[in-house]
Amino acid sequence: MKVIDAVKSRRSTRSFEQRTLPPEMIQEIENAILHSPSGSNAQESHFVIVQDEQQLRLIKRFAPGLSGDPAAVVVLCSNATESLIRGGIDTAEVLRFVNLGIAAAYILLIAHSNDIGNCPVRSFHRESIKKVLGLPEEIEPELLISLGYADMPPRSKTSKKVLEVISYDQYGNNH
Amino acid sequence: MTSMETTTKTADQILEQLRDYVAYTLTSAKGLYREPHSYGAMRMVDSMERALHLLQEAGIKDEALELALSAVRKERWRAMTDPQGFGRAIDDSVLGLVVLSINK
Ligand SMILES: Cc1cc2nc3c(=O)[nH]c(=O)nc-3n(C[C@H](O)[C@H](O)[C@H](O)COP(=O)(O)O)c2cc1C
Repeated sequence: MKVIDAVKSRRSTRSFEQRTLPPEMIQEIENAILHSPSGSNAQESHFVIVQDEQQLRLIKRFAPGLSGDPAAVVVLCSNATESLIRGGIDTAEVLRFVNLGIAAAYILLIAHSNDIGNCPVRSFHRESIKKVLGLPEEIEPELLISLGYADMPPRSKTSKKVLEVISYDQYGNNH
Repeated sequence: MTSMETTTKTADQILEQLRDYVAYTLTSAKGLYREPHSYGAMRMVDSMERALHLLQEAGIKDEALELALSAVRKERWRAMTDPQGFGRAIDDSVLGLVVLSINK
């Protein structure tokens, strides 16, 4: 699948088949993570890929925004301490979140281009997820991405009008 | 959480599901402080649906509630993109419940 086709056809999945992911898919996710760019190449983020049934159950318990029963959840974590050491103040304050956002997009698109349904999830209780995963103090879970085979076709998306979102050459110029 | 069939579960399994339910509801309560307001309605409806499901699995059925919930189930996906549409679906369900309650 071409990247543009993946971008245009990806939708969030909130209901999954009861089917595990093949190991190649997990490798693809690892590739997405490892090849994702980061400001000053700091690579300060950490990712926990969860497939264990009991761990998934515990995550779901403390993540009301996570719908359905995904086969895996990728937990995208920031690391304030390492951001500061490797990237400086700007990375610690802002870029670590930008970097995670880019990694998230890579994961979503790689998953979708392999026909794996996915949904980014921010509605969860941070401290609880931190405890469930045994994350060290300086590592914060920022976003979950659920992964699995979708069990229903995606709904169509309503996007804002292009003029509301994009200007050309100067703010407000619409052509 | 949409399954209608009644399965007989062991007390341990139901207890585990009850734990899921309690944690889900409590975590949702915390979410109300920072998340968009419209999520609150969605979480409450989900939480009630989970409770209904638990009742079913314990062998108890409340068909009136099941019926009243069906409109919400159908329109649930609107909760995030069209909260007012979701609100209308809740209205339909509540009105269904009133009719069922009066006719009982
Ligand atoms: C940062 C972020 C957090 C999100 N958190 C949640 C969430 O907690 N629960 C959920 O069901 N969807 C969540 N979503 C998914 C959005 O609701 C979804 O991307 C949006 O409605 C657009 O739909 P689409 O992904 O199908 O294009 C999140 C998306 C993003 C980017």
